[in-house]
Amino acid sequence: MNETSGKAPKVALIGNPNSGKSTVFNQLTGLRQKTGNFPGVTVEIKEGRLRFPNGTEALLIDLPGTYSLYPTSSDEKIVTTVLANPKDDFFPDALVYVADVTHLEKHLLLFTQLLDLGLPIVLALNMADVAAENGIKINAGKLAERFDVPVVSISGRTGENIQRLLLELEKLLQNGKIHKYAQSPFYPLREPEKQVADAVQLNLGIENPYQALLLAHHHTWLPFLQKQERETLAAIVQTKDFQSLRSQVDETLERFDRFTPIVRQTVQQPSVESSGLTDRIDAVLTNRWLGPLIFFGVMLLVFMAIFFGYDITGGWVENATGALIDVVGSSLPDNWFSSLLTNGVLPGLQGILVFVPQIALLFLLITILEEVGYMARAVFIFDKTMRRFGMNGRSIVALVGGGACAVPAIMGTRTISNWKERLITVMVTPFISCSARIPVYLVLIPVALPTSSWWTKSLVFGGMYFFGLAAALGAAYIFKKILRTSDPSYLALELPVYRMPHWKNVWLTVWEKVKAFIGGAGKIILYISIALWVLGNTGPGNALENAETQVRATAKAEVSQDSIEDLVAAKRLEASFAGRIGKTIEPAILPLGYDWKIGIALLSSFAAREVFNGTMYTIYSLESVGRIEEEEASNQRPFERYGRLRQQMSRDKFSNGQRVYTLATGISLLIFYALAMQCMSTLAVVRRETGSWKWPVFQFFFMSGLAYLCAWLAYTFLPKL
Amino acid sequence: MQRRYRTISDLKLNESALTLAFTDPALAGKLTAMGVLPGARIELVRPAPFGAAYYIKVDGVRLALREEEAASILLES
Repeated sequence: MNETSGKAPKVALIGNPNSGKSTVFNQLTGLRQKTGNFPGVTVEIKEGRLRFPNGTEALLIDLPGTYSLYPTSSDEKIVTTVLANPKDDFFPDALVYVADVTHLEKHLLLFTQLLDLGLPIVLALNMADVAAENGIKINAGKLAERFDVPVVSISGRTGENIQRLLLELEKLLQNGKIHKYAQSPFYPLREPEKQVADAVQLNLGIENPYQALLLAHHHTWLPFLQKQERETLAAIVQTKDFQSLRSQVDETLERFDRFTPIVRQTVQQPSVESSGLTDRIDAVLTNRWLGPLIFFGVMLLVFMAIFFGYDITGGWVENATGALIDVVGSSLPDNWFSSLLTNGVLPGLQGILVFVPQIALLFLLITILEEVGYMARAVFIFDKTMRRFGMNGRSIVALVGGGACAVPAIMGTRTISNWKERLITVMVTPFISCSARIPVYLVLIPVALPTSSWWTKSLVFGGMYFFGLAAALGAAYIFKKILRTSDPSYLALELPVYRMPHWKNVWLTVWEKVKAFIGGAGKIILYISIALWVLGNTGPGNALENAETQVRATAKAEVSQDSIEDLVAAKRLEASFAGRIGKTIEPAILPLGYDWKIGIALLSSFAAREVFNGTMYTIYSLESVGRIEEEEASNQRPFERYGRLRQQMSRDKFSNGQRVYTLATGISLLIFYALAMQCMSTLAVVRRETGSWKWPVFQFFFMSGLAYLCAWLAYTFLPKL
Repeated sequence: MQRRYRTISDLKLNESALTLAFTDPALAGKLTAMGVLPGARIELVRPAPFGAAYYIKVDGVRLALREEEAASILLES
């Protein structure tokens, strides 16, 4: 945490879904933003730094979009949790309320609730540019007068009046004007509500009646309440016979009744509806036959782009990073540190950088689909299908996003209000083949099918995605039968007007996600590669030295120097701690067709599956040939890459003389990597999103157990050729 | 068929009707917050490709509702 954030005032950005809030957030903060961990609510929320014209700063918190302070999903609950608790670390000093001015009559419910909480607010009327195009006239001055708050017409997309918004916010923070509920409530509580609020105020010592009412409404789940407070609230609700749901609806309707006339007086709508384009597009995209077909077509295109993109960029990155490793290697003296760097850390990092372009491309395409408003249509089309598997239409967003990386996909499930549907989505999303599996598949497919054509291999590659999807749906179906919940389940989703993607939003989102990915995975790979290097270069007593002496003594003269070095390295590895660990677990993985070397790769892959390739290079100690490969990489098709690694692998034999890498072992490994839970970042995010270690631990054993079983079946029944 | 009210499933494509009331308090809370209010004009745009949901327009705002959600909204007949 930055040292200024303790003193700097906090501003929260809030609004309905589809109000263009995130665009405004990006306009206000630009690159001065990050995803921070929210202590009060233990979830990640975007925060950024605001710089005012007078040079002072404030922390801007991007609260999830919601329609009211009566939430149904955990995403929306965050908003109520923060705003109903003035003691929360992130309780804001002021709010920026973003409303879509083209639908102002639907966007002010939450605003009036916030007014009654007594928070200083600036009302930002977003999409002023669209409103002007459509001939909508707004009397901002009158609106400001009626609500008694500063009002600014802005456009998040063009950046219009963003400076004025900052200016108003600055003034608001300086004056610290707080609406006193008692003087001018927008919604005066009705009698039963007033009784409850009075009792809550008295017993819990709360100043604001509307805040007191919210505590009564939400006493069952608000996380900041003490046990005793919760009991007091429950007693009040019980004795006053408070009908929470009824009261919520009545309050909502009353608020609409009160602000609708204000909107009518201040906003002039032309009589013609002017979003015919969206209707025409939706006539095709949500069409009974074309809709699903187009969705699958779009998905196919996305994954083709990833596959062929890898063909092009993979070679570049390998060349560039390979050259870097060479430079580092040749400029450092030959000692243990340079060995750790050039044989451990850097190849490990290379392994991840190689598919950063893929991740970026996937995030880019998925972000564009979300930005234009297409994902909401996919949710609508597949809601029934997803429910059949115990999920929600919204799960499709997570499953598609899981093709890039499960971590942000799982965070996105917060919009699913039903706990069971959300949990199932969280549990099965890691089955979807994420981009970290791409390089592993590219090594293993040719190992399994050395003589097949390029087309067969590509088909198998595509098949791995279907396999992952099938596993996800199958598992979801089983969970559906087992899990029970009484939570209500909703679709009720707004289908936004189609818009051109706002590129600044797109770039910032992609940048944010790629950064998070490299940061998260990079750290893990760094630790793993250091640990592997240490385990692979040390052994009990003089075991390594003894192994080396033995090789050198028995090596034949005609064998080339390179081969002797490779053999020495291999024997040293076998004698090292890593080798011993591999040998120890060999009995457990032998039924799957794996030897101790694969065992080491498997073990290290449990931190992050993309470690596999790097580990295999280290294990087969191919530093000498690895260099040559990097040079050749740029002019090879995807399946031809890593050729020497595979050559070396294909010569490997079990102690009984049988070849290790056969069709059976290859397929068995592919299946294992498709199904096993090999990602610490995912487990960490599941822990955070489900609130306990129970689910990630279960997920780990469930997925890995299934992987073991299926890999065993494959190895047992496939020919060992 | 003489009833005092209809629901969205009774509407023909592109037909619209005014909202009267809601049958389910929890859904009513959710729908009213989204701007589906008594007196709002609801138009059926099309059913979902695999069924079980509707694409509707409420005062020009597009919404996707499940069958149960749609059934909880009573429309004038």
